[in-house]
Amino acid sequence: MYDVVVVGQGLTGLLSAIWAKERGNHVALVSQGTGKILQSTGLIDGSPGMGEKENTMAAERAAVAASEKFKTLMNNLGYPYHGQLNKPAPIVTGSGYVKWTSLYPETITPVPEEGNVVIAGFQEIVDFKAVYVKENLQKERPKLNIEAVTVRLKKHSSRTMTQLDAARVLEQKEARLNVIGQMRNEMTKQNISHPRLIVFPAALGVNRWKSIVREFEESLDAAVTEAPGMPPNASAVRFYEALKKGAIRLGVRFYMDTQVLGCHVEENLVKSLKIKTTNRTTEISGLNYIIASGGILGGGVEVTSAGLKDRVLGLEVDEFGQYTNCPHNVFPVGASQGTKVTRYGITGGMFSILSSYEANSRLNRLAKEDKHA
Amino acid sequence: MHDLACPEISFDSCLKCNACVVSCPVSNVTLDFGGPKHLGPELKRLIENQEFIDDSRIEFCTLCGNCDMACPENVNVSTLTAFAKASHSELGGSKFRDLILSNAELVGKVASTFAPLANMAMKMKPVRKVMEGVMGIPAERIFPEYRFNNFNRVYNKTTANTHRKVAYFVGCYATYNAPEVAKSFVNVMEYNGIEVAKPKQKCCGVPMFSNGRMKKGLKNANDNVNNLLQYTRQGYDVVLTCTSCTMALKKEYVSFLQSEEANELAEHVYDADEYLRMLYEEGELNTHFGQMNVKAGYYAPCHMKSQGIGTPALDVLGLIPGYEISDAAAGCCGQCGTFGFKKEKYEVSIAIGKQMVEAVEETGADYIVTECGMCKNSMHQLTDKEVKHPMQILSEAYEKAQNR
Ligand SMILES: Cc1cc2nc3c(=O)[nH]c(=O)nc-3n(C[C@H](O)[C@H](O)[C@H](O)COP(=O)(O)OP(=O)(O)OC[C@H]3O[C@@H](n4cnc5c(N)ncnc54)[C@H](O)[C@@H]3O)c2cc1C
Ligand code: SF4
Ligand code: SF4
Repeated sequence: MYDVVVVGQGLTGLLSAIWAKERGNHVALVSQGTGKILQSTGLIDGSPGMGEKENTMAAERAAVAASEKFKTLMNNLGYPYHGQLNKPAPIVTGSGYVKWTSLYPETITPVPEEGNVVIAGFQEIVDFKAVYVKENLQKERPKLNIEAVTVRLKKHSSRTMTQLDAARVLEQKEARLNVIGQMRNEMTKQNISHPRLIVFPAALGVNRWKSIVREFEESLDAAVTEAPGMPPNASAVRFYEALKKGAIRLGVRFYMDTQVLGCHVEENLVKSLKIKTTNRTTEISGLNYIIASGGILGGGVEVTSAGLKDRVLGLEVDEFGQYTNCPHNVFPVGASQGTKVTRYGITGGMFSILSSYEANSRLNRLAKEDKHA
Repeated sequence: MHDLACPEISFDSCLKCNACVVSCPVSNVTLDFGGPKHLGPELKRLIENQEFIDDSRIEFCTLCGNCDMACPENVNVSTLTAFAKASHSELGGSKFRDLILSNAELVGKVASTFAPLANMAMKMKPVRKVMEGVMGIPAERIFPEYRFNNFNRVYNKTTANTHRKVAYFVGCYATYNAPEVAKSFVNVMEYNGIEVAKPKQKCCGVPMFSNGRMKKGLKNANDNVNNLLQYTRQGYDVVLTCTSCTMALKKEYVSFLQSEEANELAEHVYDADEYLRMLYEEGELNTHFGQMNVKAGYYAPCHMKSQGIGTPALDVLGLIPGYEISDAAAGCCGQCGTFGFKKEKYEVSIAIGKQMVEAVEETGADYIVTECGMCKNSMHQLTDKEVKHPMQILSEAYEKAQNR
């Protein structure tokens, strides 16, 4: 018997589990697989697709408190995030477009309005083409003076190399020295000196990102940034791994490769979940349940010809995917709160943070009331 | 072509999201491996639609199951790679070394009979150099020791007469290399008033599956299912102390055999800690443990994680007064059964293991607790830390309470 059972291993589920555990609850996290965080950029968007001033959450007090709590957590987990809700930051992506985001990891530096910028690509990484990034960024930032440089990782690969593969290659010292040497040569050849920023794909190491970023900055004498693009981005993988490791070390119990098939309800309280791990069906029970199954995109809700169907608890949902009669001890978070919760129906990372924070505050209030009663 | 039909149909749900690749310990250290997405669902899709393809890169897959845990679309990736491995060996044949390595049971029988000699030989440099040259077994790799007094020589009880009855599937490792684990388990059960029977059993088949010897593995699987069902049908629970054997009985037998019987058996199979946690929840566990002032680190084997049972070892050990234990949250150990005993895989194996060691060392623990003998072997190779099985600790805690 757990105090809290969380369903889902995306950003929402991991944060909810960590925060519930930090308050001393015995927490289980059940998920059939990883969440969208692995396909993400690692950036925390206010509302996806938002422009510079569109962040609807910036004004909410709870959102500010939640984002601060999140930043403290990430700092403790060794992968710090920066940025402020009321000041979205311009980030260059792997396709050269500028995207506005709320919070970004330490490997990422916002793109300036003017000055010299170098785009550095690796020949082996087909998802990131320096020349193409340069052209697109130039359209968005006409005052920038942009040059493109392409170097080789010099690694043979039997599969198509991704940004994550490049990041793992760069964990090796000789690979870094080789890349830095080529960069210096190319920059001398093209007469580039003292750029303000060098833009790499999201590939600056996985575990050793901190020393790798420093090494690049010192030897190239410029700030460097990652430009996340086609997944898998190292920026996202680090984010996921930091949260997961943090949760496990705190003592959250993971039930992986485990699908929730339904629940047993008595007097409007969920008593247990029916869970299936590959070939065996068993049960898990808790006092409270946090549902972070990602809504339609995450697989928690399915679009059928007969309307939306809840694929987690098997309870009735309305046309927006919200539980019509939500049991008292069930707390939907993130996209599990339905399609109405954000303007375009798509929840971004910031909504995950806010709703996990709020669900936890509610859980905590309930626990306190129970104690007094 | 060959006559191994892969029953797995989940490949069609693959969205090519790459979550499995990101989580594959082998893909993460070598670019020579095609990765789970490509060698699992993509290869199968190609084969279904076109013609049979034999891809030798599949040899790198260790069947650790991390891809299954990562996949959000419920694709049973490792079942697909297991059959890809099987057809590859079926066509290309197995190396002599792989035939030996996959026959853990025979090696165990022979090596434990000549235990002192066999152990000594495995530590002699010239012998190991010859083994490396002739068989491709890396000279640097440490091997687990074999015991003359293996568990089969000392424990022959085949029935139990208590209210709860346990049929113990011992597995090759606890039988031939670590009879102390098996004895501790019997002890722990005794403290709970439960008699332990040791049914007739064969190697669970995991070393065969991971060496592509599917047919041999399935034969063992069928024999074990039949032997164990005779017990479960009389009210026995099947309990195991090796997480890889447990995975085989709970998951692989059902996926590979696709039989009613395998399904029936899987319902009665428990990891030893999972079983004790269940006893605790039912109010049946003897919690009379002695005080143990220890700060231990827990290392979760991949095959424990993929059972979807949380972390029962931590739940149960946490009941011992004074016993502090925390999960190192480490990845794969790199030994991966027989994988790390192969010369051409050695470098990859060590590279995977290094990341485990970093995580384990961060815990600052007195010693490491893990269920898997092969993870323990990797740990021995890469750290000085002592490694114990949860049953050894529980047995000690019960004994302490007695001697107080
Ligand atoms: C491809 C993609 C990229 C994105 N990139 C970004 C980005 O860069 N920045 C940003 O801010 N936002 C991004 N988003 C938006 C993203 O949806 C949110 O940011 C957020 O990560 C959603 O997290 P979640 O935890 O709510 O859901 P998800 O991440 O979708 O997680 C759902 C979880 O529930 C589990 N689950 C579902 N059903 C069941 C069941 N029946 N039983 C057990 N487990 C179940 C799944 O296995 C999964 O672990 C992206 C979305 C997509 C689709
Ligand atoms: S079973 Fe392990 S080694 Fe094989 S593809 Fe899956 S994750 Fe990789
Ligand atoms: S994780 Fe699953 S869906 Fe994603 S690529 Fe791998 S097999 Fe396909």
